[in-house]
Amino acid sequence: MVDIIVLVKQMHDLEQIKPDPSTGEPMLEKSPFKMETISENAVEAAVQLKEKYGGKVTALLFGNSDAGQIMKKAYAMGCDDGYVITEYTGNNHFYTSQVLAEKIKTIKHDLILLGNQSADSVTGMLAGRLSAILGEPVLGNAVSIEIEGEDAKIKRVLEKNNYYVKTHLPAIISVTQEINEPRLPPVMRIMQAGRKPINSEKTTVQEIKNFTVVSNKAPISERKKLIFEDVDKGIEEVVKVIKEEMR
Amino acid sequence: MKFLTFSEDNQLLAQMITFLRSRGEVDAATSSDRDMPIEYGAGVVYALRGNAQYDSISAALKNLFESSGYDAVVIASTVLGREVAGHLSVGIGSDVAPELSSLEFKDGKAITKRWGYGGKTVIEETWNARVFTLLPGITDAEKNGSESTLKDIQLGDSRVEIISEEPKNLGGGNLESAKIIVSVGRGLGKKEGIEVAQKLADAVGGEIAGSRPVCLDYQWLSEDRQVGLSGKKVKPKVYIALGISGQIQHIAGMRGSKIVIAINKDKSAPIFEESDYGIVGDLYQVAPKLTEKLAA
Repeated sequence: MVDIIVLVKQMHDLEQIKPDPSTGEPMLEKSPFKMETISENAVEAAVQLKEKYGGKVTALLFGNSDAGQIMKKAYAMGCDDGYVITEYTGNNHFYTSQVLAEKIKTIKHDLILLGNQSADSVTGMLAGRLSAILGEPVLGNAVSIEIEGEDAKIKRVLEKNNYYVKTHLPAIISVTQEINEPRLPPVMRIMQAGRKPINSEKTTVQEIKNFTVVSNKAPISERKKLIFEDVDKGIEEVVKVIKEEMR
Repeated sequence: MKFLTFSEDNQLLAQMITFLRSRGEVDAATSSDRDMPIEYGAGVVYALRGNAQYDSISAALKNLFESSGYDAVVIASTVLGREVAGHLSVGIGSDVAPELSSLEFKDGKAITKRWGYGGKTVIEETWNARVFTLLPGITDAEKNGSESTLKDIQLGDSRVEIISEEPKNLGGGNLESAKIIVSVGRGLGKKEGIEVAQKLADAVGGEIAGSRPVCLDYQWLSEDRQVGLSGKKVKPKVYIALGISGQIQHIAGMRGSKIVIAINKDKSAPIFEESDYGIVGDLYQVAPKLTEKLAA
């Protein structure tokens, strides 16, 4: 048996974010929120561990008013229980780690699973911060996870070598997007998930923000965008360009 | 400013010492003993000995930070580096300004740049933070004629135990300094397609690279050949994208290229928006023709 808390992040659908043509700033209001992609891998990993070892999976999401839909997806994928901490105001790993830690302390668990670096802000800060705040060890960047008695063991992927590493439970494990292919839940599960209540609550942690955004704009693309549908003509042009640069 | 900089990769550490030495005094810490970076301008290079995991390294850096009066700890953004930075930031009660491509200091504040929304935007910020993670390749490493003092530090215990190590089969090559890169994406369709791309790369004296799925999911190329937000950031004179759709995470890794050439069957592929020249066609027909004409 292994009881797992899986951390789920919400993010804007990155594919749908377009810059405002006049300011270059992202038009976020036109891009709906969805479950952050590596959070999906973390949920899948948690549910697979439950299926293998038994236990309970609790999803934890710091979100805003759209978070209910994202939590329902976590339910449909197989999470047993879920908490939404409301009033998320955006990426701030310092504050988010404090908010999540406060709630985690109240939930019995053997493992905390999360994505290694979220697809939108990519900071990779949460595992280390939660480890220090909660006093639980991290096994980071896992592409496989096994539980052996009181220990968790992972295959850890680093830039130059891979390692098999282990630690005692309770522990925090961050996963990479290669660990699995998140399941598409069947319609029945989605309907059942829709009826399942969502626990929402506010945090008592005071927001601290240590940064000020000066500007946030799409870089200006100065590409020529000469696109050839006539392949032979395209090849001729491209060969000229490459030869020029090879000189 | 007095900096302490850390990486487990001494090539990255040499880059960071080079970057920081024009911004203040620098000492460095490393958990690797290969190619110690003692000629780049660090006053002291600390060699961290023992089980170098995120927690033992974080504890050692915290000790140095508190005993030696550093203003900031600057860490290379690697898997281990990010874990160390997050853990250390709690220990010294600071925030972390992460994943930076630019870092300057003015009036006690850090002025930074990093990617936003998976690479869609560039965020300029000011931070009140003492810990920073810098993207690999922040600058080229340059020796400056000085020699650092080497000091050993024995690491304390870690709660992470290594069971075994598995070396990776890395392709070598140097994407960061390549003049021409031929990069392949999912559109390649099969592993055998690598040969087609390799022939083109050979004809132009270039390096072969790939998108995240090609290098990490399908492993058609070794992991160190991945270009993108989570891989290498490259800036060749010519970047030739074969069957790459142009997801934003990939674009973030090749935006610094001088000229981008894309070949893709799908006329509406986003890569064409980020290209100087595009050919709408089957890469298996176009690439061999290019190879033939360029080899001639």
